[in-house]
Amino acid sequence: MAELTISEKIKAVNPAILPSIEPSKMPRRVLVEHDRDFRWITHKICNIVEEPTPRWWWVCFIVSILVASFTFVGLTYLVSTGVGVWGLANPVNWGWAIVNFVFWIGIGHAGTLISAILCLLKQQWRTSINRSAEAMTIFAVMCAGLFPLFHVGRVWFAWWLFPLPNANSIWPNFKSPLEWDVFAVSTYFTVSCLFWYMGMIPDLATIRDRAKAVWRKYFYGVLAMGWRNSNRHWQNYEMAYLLLAGLSTPLVLSVHTVVSFDFAVSLVPGWHTTIFPPYFVAGAIFSGFAMVLSLMLPLRAVYNLHDLVTQRHIDNMCKIILATGSMVGYGYAMEFFIAWYSASPYEGFTFINRAFGQYSWAYYIMITCNVISPQLFWSKWIRNNTTLVWIIVAFVNVGMWFERFVIVVTSLANDFLPSSWGYYSPTIVDIFTFFGTFGFFSALFLLFIRFLPLMPIGEIKAVIPQADPHRGHH
Amino acid sequence: MKSDNLNNDKENKMPQEETPNGRNYWRSLDELTGAPEFKQWLDREFPEGASEINGVDRRQFMKIMAASFALAGVGLAGCRQQTVNVLPYSKQPERIVPGVPIYYTSSMPSAKDNIPLLVETHDARPTKIEGNPSYLAYNGATDTFSQASILNLYDPDRAQRSMDNDKGKALSKAEVLDLFTYINHQFSETQGEGLAVLAEPSSSPTRARLVNEFKKKFPKAVWAEYDPTVDNSAEKVLGRFFQYSDPLADKMPDDFIRPQYHFENAKRILAIDSDFLHSEPGQLGNSRAFANARRVHTTKDASKMNRLYAVESNFTLTGGMADHRLRLPASHATAFTHLVAAEIFELAGWDSAVVDALRQKGSGLTVDHKWIKECARDLYDYRKQSLIIAGDDMPEDIHFLVMLMNNLLSAEGETVSYSKLPSDQAISIKELADLIKKGTIGTLVVLGGNPVYNAPADLNWPKLQKSINRVTHLSYYFNETSKLANEHIAANHYLESWGDGRAYDGTYVPVQPMILPLFDGFTELELLAKVLGLKDAEPYGLVRETFESMNPNISIEEWLGLGVLKNSEFPYVSFKISRSQVENFVERAETISVPQLSEDNLEVRLVLSNQVLDGRYNNNGWLQELPDPLTKLTWDNAISISPRLAKELTQKTGLPIVPKASLMNELGQLEHDANSFLRGKEQAFVAELTVNGKTVKGPLHVQPGLADYTLVIPVGYGRTVTGNVGSGTGFDAYPLSIGSINTPLVGARLKISDEIYELANTQEHWSMEGRAILRESTADDYAHNPDFVNKMGVESHSPAIYGTAKNDSLQKKVTEIPRGGSLYKTPDFTGAQQWGMSIDLNTCTGCNACVVACQSENNIPIIGKDQVLRGREMHWIRMDRYFSSNDNNTMEIPEDPQVSFMSMLCQHCELAPCETVCPVNATVHDESGLNVMAYNRCVGTRYCANNCPYKVRRFNFFDWNKREIDHFYEGPMGPSGMPELHKMQKNPNVTVRMRGVMEKCTFCVQRIEAAKINQRVKAKDSPDVMVPDGAIKTACQQVCPTESIVFGDVADANTRVSKLKGLDMNYSVLGYLNTRPRTTYLAKLRNPNPLMPDYYPLPNTRSEYEKRYGHGVPHEAEVSHN
Repeated sequence: MAELTISEKIKAVNPAILPSIEPSKMPRRVLVEHDRDFRWITHKICNIVEEPTPRWWWVCFIVSILVASFTFVGLTYLVSTGVGVWGLANPVNWGWAIVNFVFWIGIGHAGTLISAILCLLKQQWRTSINRSAEAMTIFAVMCAGLFPLFHVGRVWFAWWLFPLPNANSIWPNFKSPLEWDVFAVSTYFTVSCLFWYMGMIPDLATIRDRAKAVWRKYFYGVLAMGWRNSNRHWQNYEMAYLLLAGLSTPLVLSVHTVVSFDFAVSLVPGWHTTIFPPYFVAGAIFSGFAMVLSLMLPLRAVYNLHDLVTQRHIDNMCKIILATGSMVGYGYAMEFFIAWYSASPYEGFTFINRAFGQYSWAYYIMITCNVISPQLFWSKWIRNNTTLVWIIVAFVNVGMWFERFVIVVTSLANDFLPSSWGYYSPTIVDIFTFFGTFGFFSALFLLFIRFLPLMPIGEIKAVIPQADPHRGHH
Repeated sequence: MKSDNLNNDKENKMPQEETPNGRNYWRSLDELTGAPEFKQWLDREFPEGASEINGVDRRQFMKIMAASFALAGVGLAGCRQQTVNVLPYSKQPERIVPGVPIYYTSSMPSAKDNIPLLVETHDARPTKIEGNPSYLAYNGATDTFSQASILNLYDPDRAQRSMDNDKGKALSKAEVLDLFTYINHQFSETQGEGLAVLAEPSSSPTRARLVNEFKKKFPKAVWAEYDPTVDNSAEKVLGRFFQYSDPLADKMPDDFIRPQYHFENAKRILAIDSDFLHSEPGQLGNSRAFANARRVHTTKDASKMNRLYAVESNFTLTGGMADHRLRLPASHATAFTHLVAAEIFELAGWDSAVVDALRQKGSGLTVDHKWIKECARDLYDYRKQSLIIAGDDMPEDIHFLVMLMNNLLSAEGETVSYSKLPSDQAISIKELADLIKKGTIGTLVVLGGNPVYNAPADLNWPKLQKSINRVTHLSYYFNETSKLANEHIAANHYLESWGDGRAYDGTYVPVQPMILPLFDGFTELELLAKVLGLKDAEPYGLVRETFESMNPNISIEEWLGLGVLKNSEFPYVSFKISRSQVENFVERAETISVPQLSEDNLEVRLVLSNQVLDGRYNNNGWLQELPDPLTKLTWDNAISISPRLAKELTQKTGLPIVPKASLMNELGQLEHDANSFLRGKEQAFVAELTVNGKTVKGPLHVQPGLADYTLVIPVGYGRTVTGNVGSGTGFDAYPLSIGSINTPLVGARLKISDEIYELANTQEHWSMEGRAILRESTADDYAHNPDFVNKMGVESHSPAIYGTAKNDSLQKKVTEIPRGGSLYKTPDFTGAQQWGMSIDLNTCTGCNACVVACQSENNIPIIGKDQVLRGREMHWIRMDRYFSSNDNNTMEIPEDPQVSFMSMLCQHCELAPCETVCPVNATVHDESGLNVMAYNRCVGTRYCANNCPYKVRRFNFFDWNKREIDHFYEGPMGPSGMPELHKMQKNPNVTVRMRGVMEKCTFCVQRIEAAKINQRVKAKDSPDVMVPDGAIKTACQQVCPTESIVFGDVADANTRVSKLKGLDMNYSVLGYLNTRPRTTYLAKLRNPNPLMPDYYPLPNTRSEYEKRYGHGVPHEAEVSHN
């Protein structure tokens, strides 16, 4: 940071000027509070993995598995019986499955954004949240992937979407946005996994080194891939991390852009909109950060991580939610404007129908949760109140689900020919299958908390003052 | 399975000797039936056994079927003595080419109009019914019922054997024949004392011959006929006029006189409660001739377009086609006809005595007299080219007046002729009932029909039938009447029987079997011959005898080959009306009472269902699932009420019978659907309807276009003894009927409960919302604005779709597919022939025949009410119905709407939006411009269906074909496999689709390919491989009575379809999307009379469009607000 320098001459002439022109230091809140040292950090984070399994973990885990079984049962029923067990029908051929897919994919955005973009932008506050956000991303993408896979009529042939040489010599249709989805989501999942795992290697080595039980030594030993903490290791690691960050950055933007193409490339009024890519990405980041907060706030409380996940982190995330929430709101307004400006009766009707038609209840849930509730984050008092923050981000998550519902369902239910207009409502199988994915997600996340380092130990150490003995002075 | 195969198959006889050391094959059905397990199967309690075939395993079924197939080669029809095993042909029989269907002529038996048919058979199994194009009046058209009748042949619920109900055991074929021989012996001595036969009316000359013999042999026996679908009152009144000069004489004339209409000559038509285009006999010929007089291709034709005035209480398809439609309760029709007659008589120069008398008679009626006056004047101005027609079910007075008026309009010989046909000379069911009450009938033979269910309720038929000693019922299904009979005799399907009949104009047509009877059934002719004790009771012989008695100039083989006997029409007769006859009539008739209808004094009309008719098609899944053209209801009937009445009832009861506004169509405009929908399912309030002390209970459906206080209820539902498909559908309205179902009932009251019944309605929204989807104009406007279709829709404002190529010829466009400024590569259509379709909205009446034809041709499954409620109906072609109101107000349900129909099927877009989005290339274009579906490649993402702007793609959400309707949700736990009988109906050239795949209209690709193969075979080495125009007819095109659908090669400028597409009224639906559909439409025209009080300068949908999205309605074209 450039510092204001005052020549010695002036200092000598008028020493009194100094206090008036030298700007006061605006101390940023530190990223690790209470001046914790390296040892404390190592111990704090490793202890989560090393301590005896707490009872609450078992309770949560068993409940999650039970809930996850709904998805399992629902999908088994679906595959054995037919897609008809869901509420889909003409004209709404995509219902909750695609809504859930976009919802989970959206949530999966914050992880890579935090790891990659904030890394490249040297936002040091990312360190204490990036690992869990990445884990969240991966698990969310897993939940998301279930839906487009299983929503097809003949899931046993879903592999035809992959460009595999097969006896039929038929390639997939590379013009189809669904095909792009396959590539976008699988690439995103692969890169996110790599990024996540690679970032964890030094920490896994730390746990390995601290392990007492033999199985732990082997388990973490294998995972740590022979990490010896050498300078060369660190050098390679830093470079690889940077490269992966660079690789992931476009993915953050591309995945949801491609997902939005599922809609934007079609010609259904309400889908066929050029604003979709940026507005979907903004929405994804919006919901992703909301989900990070939904997970981090309870974790912070349970494990007493207040020194590592500080109010500064919460503030930053709230502000991102505020910004992206406003962008999403702008998107909603712009859709209306364009629909009017296009002078197409079909477009115009679609948007009026969204706001005032048979699904207007969904539209107003969406507006309330996505546009109005994040505006509360203008208030510092609210940002400081973790309970309120947690409630608001829960609203955001609900709102973002409804946004996808509104886009997918209302556009299809009333499209071009009024003769075909219909109404879509989910069946109990739809509802339970979706509900179950929360159990699946939670179970994976609980396993992650239990067995893997929740935060990057090395990176956090790098942002505490002790890591920089010169305090910025060379 | 055919007559000529039956006898001369010596060379192909199968081995008949049993191999001594082989397996023990049963040699005959008798031997098989001797097996104890089979006996047990037969003896089980009826009617569970009726559906037993479901439970029979495949082997067992194949055994039975194999026997009948094999027998076809060796024995005579009906003879099952010898059994041989099925072996592959050792020598290929002549004319049977595996995979190539054989067509046989036949006709669909009916009381008035045997529709001539051509039946497609594959390996001797009929699969598809088409009209016989040799009968030029119908030109190959058929109706929904004949299309669907093939499904009855393969209905597992049909009666599979005769039953002795008293003993609860099955009757063998011999026992049944004994039974009828016994009747012959029993009554021969007593001259038939105590014997009565109740039959369905039939047009069959053979049957008429047997009936005459019956009357000769048993002079004291009673021959009665009843069929709720048949009303002879017009024929009777004209017959009496012809014979006795007195139409109101209380005598049965020897001959009936049937008016034969020539709509092709009629420029002005008034239909008085007549649905001559749809539900009345002869409708196929009527529709065809009417369409020919209505078809407009150029502005020159516009002035020649016919004009239809319709006056009706129900909303029929004829009313839908009308240029002026007056809603009038049926009970006011007589008065109305008198008023029209007064005008016509006046115009014809009759003196005021007659005119005033007529006017006086109708004076109780309050309608707009200007309507009547101008209508009459228009008709009179077009003397010799105008026609008045009254519904078959109208009172006799009306028929007489109509005949008089047509006479004054010089219509005879121009637009109507009168043909003479023998009267049925049967007593009515009412007279029979009186005889039964007197106790003079000891034995009643009921040949067909179902009087226990559908006889007029005031006869109390079930009780009467029970009072008879012995009732024997011949019936195709085990139904309500069979249940109360002593014996039930299984009947054969007409595709299994020999017979004959007459078309509406009298043309003599055969009923020819395609297949040996699948079960041990009988035909009416066979049993009658037994009763008469004829030595040769074989129906073929009987028909042959009748045929020969007509002194034909062709052989019977030629007749069967052609399917019609030319020049066998009923002879025409002509009338002379004398002044005194008219005066007699005018004096005799009393002043007509015109009941004042209101909410407390409602009129009820029982009508035949457009789906199940009088209930006889109740177990036919195709028909049950066919949406009614107007109400769009499936699987149920309902009490249709007018929007006016619905509003009044809503106010009175507080129940939302007219639903609350739910949909905003533009800012500030909240609009209703016509009926309440909750989550896409119609919520109908259940009401009790009481009239004359009789009450029925049924759901209410609000139907725009009804007379305000007329309730319309289709009969045929609510059957108590029916098959799996029909059970539990709708409610029975017959209990209301008095005398005849056709009599309008006055004095009804509705009591509405808050109970809700869900109706499976396939179209939720009634309005087109001013969108330029179905484009309409008036003949007059079209004459001045020939390119009006191009001035409508978004594309009229957006840049030209074809870019610089917009003025290129159709042929250039379809083969080169100009990019039109798009960056996207467009497909290459390199095929020599490019397929396309044109649909003329102007002549389409919305009769639904195309929907059933498509279902039959393309193996389209039915899915049941529950799935239709969920919106998953599978029809590849659907009939979109839009109502529009004259004040262009879409916020209120119109009371007096115009209706417009649009058949919507895959448009085969050249730039198909479905294709680009399919991730696995399962839907692609072929080189001849077809948008094809590769079912095997489809994984079922349904993206294509979402991206289809026409919403014509259909998804197999369940294994519709493999699972049963009530067991879809049981998945692998439910029963699996298609009944063997159903399999026999399937078209072997069309894939039966499994679950998880998308399907849609293919333009009948199997027919295209067959025609191509055919042409290549014909061409041999010559390069002449182009399929000639007209050689391919899609199933929907083939069946269409109005020839509204034309298919062909659009790369050839000389084909019919290319010429139609070159007309200025041709347009693409949603053309602005640049989908470039190969299916285009010709706009609909209406032809209103500017002098009429309800004149409209533009059709409602059009003025709605102009107001909302167009250029506004021109000032001089301001819509009148009457």
